[in-house]
Amino acid sequence: MMADLADQRRRPVWLWPGLSLGVVAAGALLDWRLGAVLALWLGAWWLNTLLAARMTRAGILVPVIFGLTLLALWEVTVRLYGVSPIILPAPSEILAQFVVSTDVLWADFVQTMLKGALAGYVIGCGAAFLVALAVDRSLFLQRGVLPVGNFIAALPIVGTAPIMVMWFGFDWQSKAAVVVAMVFFPMLVNTLQGLKASDVMQRDLMHTYAASYWQGLFKLRLPNALPFVFNGLKICTTLALIGAIVAEFFGSPTVGMGFRIKIEVGRLAMDMVWASIFVAALAGTGFYGLMALIERWLTFWHPSQRRGRG
Amino acid sequence: MKHLMTGAMAAGLLVGAAQAQDAVTLQLQWVTQAQFAGYYVALENGYYDEENLDVTIQPGGPDIAPPQVLAGGGADVMLNWMPSALAARERGLPVVNIAQPFVRSGLMLTCWADSGITEPADLAGHTVAHWFFGNEYPFLSWMSQLGIPVDGSENGVTLLQAGFNVDPLLQRQADCISTMTYNEYWQIIDAGITPEELVTFKYEDYGVATLEDGIWALEENLDDPAFVDKMARFVRASMRGWAWAAENPDAAAMIVLDYDETGAQTEEHQLRMMREIGLLVEGGDGRLDEAAYERTVATLLAGGSDPVISAAPVGAFTHVITDAALAN
Repeated sequence: MMADLADQRRRPVWLWPGLSLGVVAAGALLDWRLGAVLALWLGAWWLNTLLAARMTRAGILVPVIFGLTLLALWEVTVRLYGVSPIILPAPSEILAQFVVSTDVLWADFVQTMLKGALAGYVIGCGAAFLVALAVDRSLFLQRGVLPVGNFIAALPIVGTAPIMVMWFGFDWQSKAAVVVAMVFFPMLVNTLQGLKASDVMQRDLMHTYAASYWQGLFKLRLPNALPFVFNGLKICTTLALIGAIVAEFFGSPTVGMGFRIKIEVGRLAMDMVWASIFVAALAGTGFYGLMALIERWLTFWHPSQRRGRG
Repeated sequence: MKHLMTGAMAAGLLVGAAQAQDAVTLQLQWVTQAQFAGYYVALENGYYDEENLDVTIQPGGPDIAPPQVLAGGGADVMLNWMPSALAARERGLPVVNIAQPFVRSGLMLTCWADSGITEPADLAGHTVAHWFFGNEYPFLSWMSQLGIPVDGSENGVTLLQAGFNVDPLLQRQADCISTMTYNEYWQIIDAGITPEELVTFKYEDYGVATLEDGIWALEENLDDPAFVDKMARFVRASMRGWAWAAENPDAAAMIVLDYDETGAQTEEHQLRMMREIGLLVEGGDGRLDEAAYERTVATLLAGGSDPVISAAPVGAFTHVITDAALAN
């Protein structure tokens, strides 16, 4: 490690700029378009390195430049090489499509995210939490429920989704049912693990205080379980969204993010497919971020949430 | 390199029977079944070999869009329904119909007789399950022509996006479902439903049929005389395959079964499918019927609020290949 650092210091200052220019020139000789793409990439890299080195608090600037560079590379490559829009549309085309179809995308978002995914998430995670409390109290359930939970978690969504459509109809209820099946087990396992997080000494102390089971649960074990519970809740946000979207492939009304992606692929409207993917990414990130925020607010005491000191 | 070699040999040398064959990859639009019997027969009976072609047939499936395979360079030629191919053309993938073995459409709408539907206008207020993935266009333009909204309102049709099976009808989640004469209709019959319990509307009978299973290639390739020659030989051999399949439907179905690597197809179903397919290709020589083309375009342009194509396509078909194929 130290030797590496020393090596780096000995390198001449012109090495990286020289090497970069060489690569760009070589690329341009092969194909001027390749040269342009390489120049853009290395230029942005150089700018980011400079910013990261000069500014101690480059903060959000560096990732923003990184993201913009990726988008610019995508745009330039698609345009220079004339990539067919049905293989990969340019980001600007996707944005244009997004802007003109906000009403459709919003209706899809409401159908898939707010109805299917969220309903399934609340029911599935809520049920798993309650079952975890019961399983924790009873050895009989531990032996009985866990294998069944494991079994449900192993069911492939391509098998369950069509069955749920038959049972619960084409609308969002069947998507919520798929989500319930997907999120139940991860939530159950995490909650159970969390309930075991308080150690014997702490529980003994509660016992010497003559605390009842419920007092022990609410004052000691559940607070201790929260980091695990939130772990489960965060994993389940992405599972719920994936479940709700994929379930729509197997039958749906004529609205929904999964429906949109499926039919627009059939129509080769890839700009619309990417716009839907963009919405899904935003929704997934937002949902996850929301859970992380609530976690920070509720488990401020946990070492993983401490910031700024040490 | 291989293309260069074969091109040079075909053009210049033309010696002996041992020369390398021209490679052609055909992308089907569905899994191996009697719907594609003509191509499998041409392969099995050596018609492609006789035209000095090395043909690879790639089966499709529910999530394979043949135009995308063509655009990505995964195939030289594809089978596609005209609505989907013309939509791809308008989306910037210039595909051209080079031959049209199917002269009739096999698309139908099958409804429960006890739902009170006796004619298409009765569909208002009912639930229809239809495939999407490009197959919904004929239905949407049909409803648009009848003036029935497809928005789930009281006087409109509630449209469901169904998987490729007939469960929504059997479960009575929908009153009507899209079927093909040669496939899904028989799945309903196989489920123990009698034809008397059903009412069936053939798109062909209501003037809203669109052409199915055409042979399409990329426009840019058609500038190359060697490719045109290769396609003419491909179409000629394929139409020989179709003619043989129509004359020997049972034997053709058995050939298809041999090529079904998934083993999912049954003999009874394929024999029945082959006979129904025979009715769709009957009387065709591969040449596109321009009247049927115009009808398809008119149907697609009338697709209601969200038409499949916004303008009549230009140069979306050519007779050059079929003229060359049928000339000798």
